[in-house]
Amino acid sequence: MSVAWIGSQPVSLTDAIQNAVKLLASSRCPVFSLDTDVHGTRSAIALATILGGAYDHTMGRLLANEIALITDHGGMFTTPGEVRRRSSLIVLVGEVPVFHHELLQTWANSKPDLGDKHSRHWFHVAGAETNSLDSKLLRPMKAVPVGGENLSLNATLAVLRAQLQNRQTVSTLSNIDRFKSALTAAQFPVFVFSGGSVETAGLVMLQDLIADLNKKGRASSLFLPADDDAWGSALTSLWMTGFPPRTGFINSLPSYDPVRWDVQRMLREKEADLHVWVSTREGETSPKGGKARLISLSRTDAPTAGAMITIAVGKAGIDHDGVAYSSRIGTFGFVQAMAPSHLPSVSNIIRQLADALPGKKEFAC
Amino acid sequence: MKALTFTLIDQPDERLDLSGLTPVALAGLSEVQVSRLRIGTSRNPASVGDVFKVAGKDVNNIVFEGGSARFDKVGTGLNSGSMRIIGDVGDQAGRRISGGSLYIEGSAGDHTGSCMAGGRLEIKGNAGNYLGGPLAGEMTGMEGGILIVRGKAGDYTGDRLRRGVIAALKGCGDYAGYRMIAGTIVVCGRTGAMPGYLMKRGSLLFDRRPENPSPTFMPCGEPDIAFSSLFDRFLMDENIVNKPLLGPKPGKYGGDNAVSGKGEILFRQRDRLRSD
Repeated sequence: MSVAWIGSQPVSLTDAIQNAVKLLASSRCPVFSLDTDVHGTRSAIALATILGGAYDHTMGRLLANEIALITDHGGMFTTPGEVRRRSSLIVLVGEVPVFHHELLQTWANSKPDLGDKHSRHWFHVAGAETNSLDSKLLRPMKAVPVGGENLSLNATLAVLRAQLQNRQTVSTLSNIDRFKSALTAAQFPVFVFSGGSVETAGLVMLQDLIADLNKKGRASSLFLPADDDAWGSALTSLWMTGFPPRTGFINSLPSYDPVRWDVQRMLREKEADLHVWVSTREGETSPKGGKARLISLSRTDAPTAGAMITIAVGKAGIDHDGVAYSSRIGTFGFVQAMAPSHLPSVSNIIRQLADALPGKKEFAC
Repeated sequence: MKALTFTLIDQPDERLDLSGLTPVALAGLSEVQVSRLRIGTSRNPASVGDVFKVAGKDVNNIVFEGGSARFDKVGTGLNSGSMRIIGDVGDQAGRRISGGSLYIEGSAGDHTGSCMAGGRLEIKGNAGNYLGGPLAGEMTGMEGGILIVRGKAGDYTGDRLRRGVIAALKGCGDYAGYRMIAGTIVVCGRTGAMPGYLMKRGSLLFDRRPENPSPTFMPCGEPDIAFSSLFDRFLMDENIVNKPLLGPKPGKYGGDNAVSGKGEILFRQRDRLRSD
């Protein structure tokens, strides 16, 4: 079975590598879209460094919203283990992605064994645009809704913060008195949020609210990423360059600019002339349009539509062993291959590309 | 002496970093040295001579004939002299200006006037998001000077504004005055959602009642204050507007009560506007 194509023609992997290298070497402005495991991300960033390119995650917009909270403001964060063991008051803010629901349900079935050791109380702060959480998720938690009529989530958070300081507001929130009582009784309230459903401005308001609570007591937040692999890529990028994705290299030095190095924008506005699409996610396809030539490294058994070169790659945890971020443990973990296959890893292919590039440059990976 | 003029030969293939083409950076350089300055940001970066025809010698008076949305960081760090761009510019135009004047005859991108501390920046067309705001990781936005947008400004106008005046004369997007610390933002025309969100202090001055204020801003009636007349006169003296913006008894909202409640939104009463 073929793993490499030039256009729609199956070719040997060596031929595909050589042709891809010609495109990379002649490119004026190569850009990388990444969605892969830690080793694949590291390799791709190292290749972008050599080539003077720019890289972004395929979910760049979503990730940029989450990262903006850290780069523009900061916050108080805790770990899932601390929440499970210490928190008797959990406040869900906005929508929590479905793949985190199992984690929340395990907390609903347990009591904190440190701190105040009371049974857990749940609240849900929602705006008019918030889809109600899966009823299956909310039922065992008996989460008390906190919200206002026709208020957006950002407005709800602003009103909540003002009312917790006993300041006047134009609108009121449902169950605000119950919420205040629960906050007073709890030793370690934790606000659980994801960047997927709250704009950065709302996230900043939430963190300021938590800072207010910490003037008199103790409170924190648990950040559950909208996508674990994307957040893993952000942490890997920080480790490699000091910056999150949407970083470019000018004179081999990394520079972070979420507007300048937005790869989708660069393609749309025809600033990039070569797009290297690296995705091991099932069913994900490269964006259509733009005039940039496309090299696709994806988990596929057919050539990618519109790609000059396609190389099939395996996914960590399925085709080969790897390392991936897990929000459940709050750090990186080993993932074992569930169905080892002949598909090469992303890092393997990118190393071959780097080795075949003309001139001797150190591949820092 | 004739103004130092950069005439655009053709639209650039790559984004250009024009932060090095300011009076201070160009002082003492010969025409050849100027032509060799690198301004491209791709792997094969263009130099000044590849993109512009250079003429004139007065570095304190710089003119760009022709613009592009790919002209980034125009006028960065300008502290004296004047710069004029006959066309559009890209992102971060006028970043960290502390003196002099920068006039853009077209539209500007995001982060225009980012962290400016003095001088005057005027845009004839529209401006992008984060007008005057800080870049990622920076703690304060604009700290002084006058920033005028004759067209419409984008979202987050005046993010973390600390001092100075921003004027958007054909409306602005959402979250004007977001995280504002102090200073003044003037908006004529429609404002987007939740102006003053997370505002600590400072003044938002509108020519009409805001359509969608944050519920943490409280109506405070129509205070009879001298400030509105004084500021109207300042705006007209500076040729920012040609008629009073607020009038004698503007309406007022106080907020953001989620933060400290020390900021204000002053707006012209519509019935007063009709009777004037």
